[in-house]
Amino acid sequence: MSLLDSPGSGGEPLDGGYAMPLPGPPGSGGGPLDGGYAISLPGPPGSGGGPVTVPRVLVVWCPDWPVTAVGLDAGTPAAVVVQARVAACSAAARAVGVRRGQRLRDAQRHCPDLVVRDRDPDAEGRLFETVAAAVSTITPWVEVVRPGVCAIPARGAARYHGGADRGTAEESLRIHVQDTVVEHGFDCGVGIADGLFAAELAARTADGGMIVPVGGAADFLAPYPVAVLDRPELADLLPRLGIRTLGAFAALPPRHVAGRFGADEVRAHRLARGLDARPPAPRPPHTDLSVTTEFDPPATAAEQVVFAAKTLAERLHEALAAEGLTCVRIGVEVTDAHGRTQSRLWRHDGTLSALAVAERVRWQLSSWETSPDEEGVGGIAFLRLLPDQLVPDEGRQEALWGQVTLSDRVMRAAARVQAMLGHQAITRPFPAGGRGPGERVVRVPVGDLPPEPGAAEGRWPGRIPDPAPAVVHPDPLPVRVTDADGAPVTVSARCAVSAPPHQIEVDGRVLPVTAWAGPWPARERWWDPVRFRRRARFQVVTADGGARLLVVEGGRWYIEADYA
Amino acid sequence: MSELSSQVTEGFSPLAGVDLVPVLPALRAVIPGGGLRPGTVTGVDGSTTLALTLAAGLGDRWCAVVGLPEAHVPAAAAFGGEDGGLDPMRVLLVDDPDRRWADVVAALTDGCAMVIVRPPEEPPAHVARRLTTLARRNGCALVTTGPWAGAALRLRVEESHWAGVGDGTGHLRGRRALVAVSGRGAAAPGHRVWLWLPGPDGAVAVAEHEGPARLEAVAG
Repeated sequence: MSLLDSPGSGGEPLDGGYAMPLPGPPGSGGGPLDGGYAISLPGPPGSGGGPVTVPRVLVVWCPDWPVTAVGLDAGTPAAVVVQARVAACSAAARAVGVRRGQRLRDAQRHCPDLVVRDRDPDAEGRLFETVAAAVSTITPWVEVVRPGVCAIPARGAARYHGGADRGTAEESLRIHVQDTVVEHGFDCGVGIADGLFAAELAARTADGGMIVPVGGAADFLAPYPVAVLDRPELADLLPRLGIRTLGAFAALPPRHVAGRFGADEVRAHRLARGLDARPPAPRPPHTDLSVTTEFDPPATAAEQVVFAAKTLAERLHEALAAEGLTCVRIGVEVTDAHGRTQSRLWRHDGTLSALAVAERVRWQLSSWETSPDEEGVGGIAFLRLLPDQLVPDEGRQEALWGQVTLSDRVMRAAARVQAMLGHQAITRPFPAGGRGPGERVVRVPVGDLPPEPGAAEGRWPGRIPDPAPAVVHPDPLPVRVTDADGAPVTVSARCAVSAPPHQIEVDGRVLPVTAWAGPWPARERWWDPVRFRRRARFQVVTADGGARLLVVEGGRWYIEADYA
Repeated sequence: MSELSSQVTEGFSPLAGVDLVPVLPALRAVIPGGGLRPGTVTGVDGSTTLALTLAAGLGDRWCAVVGLPEAHVPAAAAFGGEDGGLDPMRVLLVDDPDRRWADVVAALTDGCAMVIVRPPEEPPAHVARRLTTLARRNGCALVTTGPWAGAALRLRVEESHWAGVGDGTGHLRGRRALVAVSGRGAAAPGHRVWLWLPGPDGAVAVAEHEGPARLEAVAG
């Protein structure tokens, strides 16, 4: 069970799970922000509380971030979909009954004028840099938990921005952070609590978040349903045992949980009790595991830095592995030729590949290059990666989906292409579900998570029978199809063909049809007014020996694929 | 026929000792020696299917497809019959390398046993030389669907005859294709072979009956 849970756990921002009504950042739990950065940076002012207490964490949570990232505002009824299921929706859509995880056709029934977009994880990461940059004007120790959620250590910042006692200091910090983010044009909730998990839930409470008093995390968490732990199997199992809330789960004796469940469930149990998910590892003193690379002359192309970042991340991962450790977060410090430094913390949890780290460096650079108040960065002189909050590596499953893993050599070749052309430029084809040949494959950038298996195995009535065409045109080519009298061939709504196709005309070439088959009707995405299609497909063999897959839609004919 | 061509190649083969990039056994009649020599360029004209077929015998080696955004890799997944074919999981795609196609191919020769590329224009001699040198060193065979002056082998589909489709009935099942082999690497220049590309069972095989008689009758 823990194996199945692990893909969802951790800070991989590309995976799902962050637009749930109340998700918990699994495997997280804040951690000792105090001094956690002591290797590299001085601790935040006033840090260094007791070693046992859970640190105070402030979380900024931007609601429905996947929707915001594709450029839709909360007032528009909108949804972001992955594989025909709602991955996130706007407040307006939620108000009329659209929910995350809903099938799109159900959502469409609740809200007929729903605006639908495909999810864009890359845009989510890039745009969130704006929010992280805004928060970093308050304190530099910003940790991006995942696009949509970032955290800062509350204690030091509250004292610095502060008030008379802790309560008023924290409240003024909370308001200050919220105002700062809103000024940059993003709606957000801000919460403060002991530990990241409780703080995120506090940020999601009504009216823009709240403050959970010191030591009050367990009481605050108690009424929440176990689903907020974002461990689907546990959320399924516990209610069947009569345990419906975090309070009830927390009431179980820890040794019984440890005895009956795996390491991941123990972490979930610690979260439910208002503790850190993993106890911090006692770090051997004076070992600096950070890795640095220098660019001389300073690097002016982002690609160069990103490519170096990947190598650097590999070195870091090796060094950590040698110590049997992994890090909860990774700090990325970029210094330009003028000595200005930008640092950012990214959630790692031992789940990021070297390429994924490099991708975060790219996001970070993109924000720096485009931010208006930085003129003439003048090239990057140093890049430094700092492992933060070291924890024992409990191991993770390689090749979790039982798929072909890339050998180092292939990975290196792919990384070189990515350094030249960008992350998206080199892809791997993964099977997907669909009727048309083009839909049966999705191209996933090397290093990104493959799509969840399963959809490809479903039954797709109306699927074009094998053999598959070797050419599928990315943009179908317009074609004229005429009958023996020279009139265009039409297909009625009931799929009756007006006359047998006699010849096709493509790019000025006229090709007599020698054999044909069809029509095969397909009504696709009928739930989506923008992408809805009613089509019919034909296979046509022409006198030159060529065979093509034609599709007719709205009276227009296209060549969809070529059996060339 | 395949026996004949392998005898011919063994006669003068300079390939002994070189690890060939393997191709499907069915292509022995087309590819002398049962494999492509690393660093050679094979040009394929008029058939993406045929280009992908060359990659279908790679087994657990990797293949890259550069500059062919329209190539549908899963089409070749069953070309090897019971042995499978081109494993889409072992394919890297670079759809739009643009002007940097040569650098991309150079990077991919290290790690991939075959790179299928369509250059935007005929590569200048020095670029072609650099790529073939790198490919030879890295054990990679190049396949191009575009113009390439130094191609050792050129394969061309001269005729295709599809089976399975009638007058509004059936669906495409298989095709017999007449493949012409030329170039200085060919066993016998101008040599032509009928292949199932693919056959009704999805595999690529040598077609026994030459000529399109039955199909012409259907098409009439």
